[in-house]
Amino acid sequence: MSVEQEKTNENNDDIIVIKDLNKWYGEFHVLKDINLRVKKGEKIVICGPSGSGKSTMTRCINRLEEFQRGSLTVNGVEMIEDVKNIEAIRREVGMVFQHFNLFPHLTILENLTLGPIWVQKKPKKEAEATAMKYLERVKIPDQANKFPGQLSGGQQQRVAIARSLCMNPEIMLFDEPTSALDPEMIKEVLDVMIELANEGMTMLCVTHEMGFAKKVADRVIFMDAGEIVEQNTPEEIFNNPQTDRLQLFLSQILDH
Amino acid sequence: MKEFKPLPDQPAPNDTVGPIHWVKDNFFSSAANTIATLLILALLATVIPPLVDWLLISANWSGTTQDACTKDGACWVFVIAWSKQFFYGSYPTEELWRINLCVLMLIGVIASSQLLNKDWRNKFSIPAFLLLPFVCILILDGSWIGLEYVSTDYWGGFALNVLLAAASIIVAFPLSFVWALGRRSEMPFIKSVSILLIEFFRGVPVLALFFMGSVMLPLFFPEGTNVDKLVRVWIVLTLFMAGYMAEVFRGGFQAVPTGQYEAADSLGLSYWQKTLLIILPQVIKVSMPNILATFVMLFKNTTFLLIIGIFEVLSTTQTALTNSNWLGGHSTEGYLFVAIVFWICCYSMSRISASIERKLDTSHKN
Ligand SMILES: Nc1ncnc2c1ncn2[C@@H]1O[C@H](COP(=O)(O)OP(=O)(O)OP(=O)(O)O)[C@@H](O)[C@H]1O
Ligand SMILES: [Mg+2]
Repeated sequence: MSVEQEKTNENNDDIIVIKDLNKWYGEFHVLKDINLRVKKGEKIVICGPSGSGKSTMTRCINRLEEFQRGSLTVNGVEMIEDVKNIEAIRREVGMVFQHFNLFPHLTILENLTLGPIWVQKKPKKEAEATAMKYLERVKIPDQANKFPGQLSGGQQQRVAIARSLCMNPEIMLFDEPTSALDPEMIKEVLDVMIELANEGMTMLCVTHEMGFAKKVADRVIFMDAGEIVEQNTPEEIFNNPQTDRLQLFLSQILDH
Repeated sequence: MKEFKPLPDQPAPNDTVGPIHWVKDNFFSSAANTIATLLILALLATVIPPLVDWLLISANWSGTTQDACTKDGACWVFVIAWSKQFFYGSYPTEELWRINLCVLMLIGVIASSQLLNKDWRNKFSIPAFLLLPFVCILILDGSWIGLEYVSTDYWGGFALNVLLAAASIIVAFPLSFVWALGRRSEMPFIKSVSILLIEFFRGVPVLALFFMGSVMLPLFFPEGTNVDKLVRVWIVLTLFMAGYMAEVFRGGFQAVPTGQYEAADSLGLSYWQKTLLIILPQVIKVSMPNILATFVMLFKNTTFLLIIGIFEVLSTTQTALTNSNWLGGHSTEGYLFVAIVFWICCYSMSRISASIERKLDTSHKN
């Protein structure tokens, strides 16, 4: 994107604005001059080879990772050291992890109501009603009183999505939500995500599911070596790659 | 298309199941194993009959003085005659109901933790368990709640061992958790203070701690205050226990995956909410066996208190053994009795903790 284009985008309703973001792990420069703007309701798929910094960039957005240079604004709140800002941003951003990260000592229902009760200070009854509503949406209301260890991977991941949704976030981040799942469970999770996309949720999703990208993404971002190498509509990215790096990547993931 | 038909299950071959096979497999599987089995059987045959004879068959059960011990076997008359002292110390006889009440409450709380469901366990059993030692102290002391005051000089016996151990672990629990958190802290000051405390109380022998407690602790209290001996012992036991438990917790922390912290953070939980609601329960769960082991160690170490003149069960036993009416050499009976009482308690605790572990285990598929 050219500088002019960026300027003209400045005044519209971008919910995430990342400017010249740089991050190091010790001496290792993981993220280099990341610039990214996400509009409200936009669906973005992030892809790229292993170690390219996809997870790191995504995790900067809700401050699971710190960065050393540049700026990041979420829903008008700037990400700075202040705990108030960090908490304000985390309230707006839900995150779904590769390994689900459900709380194993709590039932499914308790997993879902924990955030609403303790962070949003909602009454228990209300939190439980909301939780049941979302469990129905991810089609497992009958599992409410089980523990995570008693559910299949696909069910656990749907619970994890429901847990984030219970906090009523503006933005959902997904970091390879289906890569720890058996093939037969991938679809049930993707279906939930597609439904969520159709309802207008702002989504950033690191995934290698290209079918999902083609179906829902407004924009696909290709990263390599800590940089955003290309970003464009799915059609352009898949049919008309501009760099040899992306071409190589596509040939590798489409080959198998 | 061909239909897939699973093969039917068949019974296991006869020579791999059944009790005879089990015995053969476990005791006579090889020449060396057979010899070991026979040797052990021979050893048991020589040891057990005389032991049973001494313990039970020719033992003396009835009577009130050592003159009643006429048979060759154990003189249980000694233990029976002194049992009140062993269990209750020199607590006044007409107030013994207070100690019994405390024991009943302890049994009640333990039973409730086994019988109630998770919700009520959290709401009742755990708070009751945490409060119990303090309630017992109030009841035993009496002066705070309108009962007759019983000075700690009269507290003693096995009841005192239990009380001190329980009261110490309950204060040590939160303290050691904070120390363990401190040890993980990124703030250098907090971190080094925590390490210092943990390593000091773990590294110094408990006996040395007891002596320091009786000699040095008073220096830290304001001049003129006379702090009860038992309170000083309580403080020392608590700190000693906390040093060990902090290390137990450290192991527990390492077993909680980073994903749990990340999930809690991304929900927007604060540091303390994350620590207490998400991390602590999981740390306790993985640490249960080690917490119990530490507690058993502490419980047994309460007998060292005889050295600084606290009338716990072992020093009561020694008093009884040196009593001029009982100079007939009953030390075997006396110490065996103490050993059995401790063993019964420790074994029950390990059964209870195993059952708690099963209850905490939510990873099972059912
Ligand atoms: N805590 C850390 N300390 C040091 N280096 C790290 C750390 N976490 C990640 N890295 C490095 O940063 C780079 C980017 O990691 P990141 O996890 O963001 O990659 P990714 O694109 O998500 O890869 P993958 O597809 O394998 O998940 C990698 O080279 C990784 O080795
Ligand atoms: Mg990754």
